[in-house]
Amino acid sequence: MDLGTRQLIDRYFTGLGLIAILLMVLALVVILGPIFLTGAGAVVFRETVNRRVLHLEIFNRGNPERVTEEWVAVQGERQEVYDRLNAFNSELMKMKFSDRQQYRSDFAQTQNAVEEILGPEMEPGTMPADLLSRRPLTHERYGETRWDKTQEALHRLKYKTKWVSVDPSKPMKKTFVPRAETFAGTSLESFFPWFEENLDRFLRPSWTVYWRYWFMNSDDGFRYGGIWDEMLGTIYLTVGAILFSVPIGVISAIFLVEFAREGWLVSTLRMCISSLAGVPSVVFGLFGFAFFIATIQVSENRSVLAGSLTLALLVLPTIIRASEEAIRAVPHTFKEASLSLGAGKWRTILTVILPAALPGVLTGIVISMGRAAGETAPIIFTAAVSQGSTPWGWDFLGESTKCLPFSAYYLATAPAHGSEINYMRYGMVTTLVTVVLLLNATAIILRAHIQRKLRG
Amino acid sequence: MTSTVQGVGGGSNGQNGSRGDEYLSSLRDAKPHLLHSKTALWAKTISAIFSWGIPFLITAIASFSVLLILLYMVKDSLPFFFEEVTVGGEEALRFSTARVAEFFTHKHWEPNTGEFGSLAIFYGSFMVTFCSLIIAVPLGVAAAVCLSDVLPFWMRQTVKPVIEVLAAIPSVAYGFFAILVLAPLLQNQGGLFLAVVFWAIGLPVGLLLVAILSAMLNQALPKHLRSLGKVVAPILFGLIALGLLYLGGSALYGVKIPNGANAFNVSLILAVMVLPTIVSVSEDALQAVGREMREGAYALGSTRAETILKVILPAASSGVLAAVILGAMRAVGETMVVLMAAGNAANIPEPFYSVFAPIKTLTATIAGEMGEAARGTPAYYVLFAMGMCLLVFSLICNLISEWVLRRQRALLKGA
Repeated sequence: MDLGTRQLIDRYFTGLGLIAILLMVLALVVILGPIFLTGAGAVVFRETVNRRVLHLEIFNRGNPERVTEEWVAVQGERQEVYDRLNAFNSELMKMKFSDRQQYRSDFAQTQNAVEEILGPEMEPGTMPADLLSRRPLTHERYGETRWDKTQEALHRLKYKTKWVSVDPSKPMKKTFVPRAETFAGTSLESFFPWFEENLDRFLRPSWTVYWRYWFMNSDDGFRYGGIWDEMLGTIYLTVGAILFSVPIGVISAIFLVEFAREGWLVSTLRMCISSLAGVPSVVFGLFGFAFFIATIQVSENRSVLAGSLTLALLVLPTIIRASEEAIRAVPHTFKEASLSLGAGKWRTILTVILPAALPGVLTGIVISMGRAAGETAPIIFTAAVSQGSTPWGWDFLGESTKCLPFSAYYLATAPAHGSEINYMRYGMVTTLVTVVLLLNATAIILRAHIQRKLRG
Repeated sequence: MTSTVQGVGGGSNGQNGSRGDEYLSSLRDAKPHLLHSKTALWAKTISAIFSWGIPFLITAIASFSVLLILLYMVKDSLPFFFEEVTVGGEEALRFSTARVAEFFTHKHWEPNTGEFGSLAIFYGSFMVTFCSLIIAVPLGVAAAVCLSDVLPFWMRQTVKPVIEVLAAIPSVAYGFFAILVLAPLLQNQGGLFLAVVFWAIGLPVGLLLVAILSAMLNQALPKHLRSLGKVVAPILFGLIALGLLYLGGSALYGVKIPNGANAFNVSLILAVMVLPTIVSVSEDALQAVGREMREGAYALGSTRAETILKVILPAASSGVLAAVILGAMRAVGETMVVLMAAGNAANIPEPFYSVFAPIKTLTATIAGEMGEAARGTPAYYVLFAMGMCLLVFSLICNLISEWVLRRQRALLKGA
């Protein structure tokens, strides 16, 4: 090949490598982008008046006088909606039977859609909490609480879905028919554009930053409130795992660096540690169940203690490796100076080597925390549950717990109303990823700090 | 006591001097014969136990816990492979080859009715691992080459955190993305997605092939035609490549994916999850090749592409192999993504290579069915048998990769 072609190929080759790296960056953006964008909606969003009333009545948050006043005012505004619907209803009653049949189901759907948005119709002056006996589920009492979800509900009000079969051999196609069309020629035809125009008068949306999302328990099947239970459970498990694994890991690292002489024993130990690092996480879960729960019975069933122990085993190799590296990186002169001053071996290790190696050890600990917080498979059978509350008090060790990764898994796959609580589950994953990435960022910063120090 | 503390803190000469005197007098009073007494021997032994024995014990426990895990997997999977038989009025356990054969060769997985054929599940694990490696290995090796030999230092420093972040994202977040973002996308816009991906990968690869092919054609031509060939050949090959891309793209555009939760979806996500492992291990291997070889190749007049393809990659091939093995290990052991987005159907797809079919893997079976299996039943023990298979696979992979890496290190040192 002549030189020109070789250079051309060389340039293309470089380009291919760059494309590979770009694809990697792209994958990161494509995966995290949608999760973070939707997840931010759990905290920053436009709330409706329904939500302010809900928070007053269920979580006891907000100014009672102002919210009640606002609620009464909004009820006054909404009266017009009910008047128009009732007017059409009486119009319907006067119609011939065949005409009435034509409108009846559509009218019922319209009423339902309006109720979905505004909440059930109630006497002026009453609050949604008064409906408790008639409608025990929270979401049946309050209507739409978020403006973005209101828009979706509005779409359901304005259009009815129709499955059209274009070609009998292919699956039917989903189309939307404006509901106003079905009511053409009646008094309800003008209701739909009017309702949409005046919707902000009935709901009074306003921007809010719901920072309590992280510090409140959830309510009514994860629809309202926040993720404090899950956060707390994750903290229990992570801190527990670190408490169990750090002493063992650091002592093992000290032994491997300072005491052990290279030989078959140490190479076997090392081989075992690297094998432990490669064990699939679900096998840790199986082992945790079979050993900690079924054999030595740290608890009857899933518990924080069993989960922490399993996770501790999972992060142990990471901690040993990081600590080993950090201890090895301490300059020999430190040790020699300390020994020559008359300090014993352990005194040297505890007062000279470990403090010098501390940033490196911390890096390992922080990375392990990120790993322990995010792992799901090991805790499915050893610690995590999706329902119930996280124990708060001294007896938490023997109790099962909710936690972020497992609840995120549960909400993504299990509940039937999953798509209704997108903000909740995306917010949960966003929180989890943010926590893990922050921990990793801390580790990266620590490592940079160490490198700078080593360079002088 | 107080005076000593002050002496150390204040650092006045007089007090330090008096401390030195005290020390000397205490030495004078020491009884040398004590060092050989029984008490001293005991003290020595005890201190040895404390300073060496206990750390050793802890290290041994930490390291051998992997053997404990193996032991428990074997112990709890044995009841599955043994059968209760009555021999002469006495109940005894006998190793059942029928169970083993059923487990490894049958396709019917119905643990509730006592059918434990796991072939389809093993195949599912194999399939997603294989597909994800097909995607991740070329990408990962290309990225590793780029990182170690092409990019300037500062860019390497910016790309490295990206890899670390990809490795750090919890697997449940990947699974979340797979089932809630990617699966609906594949289901509704599958053809478009495939066509876009095909063009994005096919276009640069096609350009490279066109460049190489036209250069080769040009060399085959007689000399007086070369100036003409230089213009005609790229156009000719380019048109062919565009045509192929168009045909492939439109064929893929017509693909309808009935269910977004399938092997393809999972393979894509697993590929992204495996990438950091492959990139970092093979980058280490490429770095280990050393400057001399690169400089030698450059000195002989080869371009960077030739140096990498003909010198560095062959020298680092075993390290790259280790990267692939470690990647496979990670893909096989990954649980949450396959549990959430693989479709959970314990069938071998028809035909066996159809990637848009839902499948089920070993890890997903364990994680998904452990909650339902009652303790002490075959349905419970069979999950441990699967766990044992996973564990043995990962241990073997680990040993092989370590052996390969050590051999490469020795080879490079020898060279």
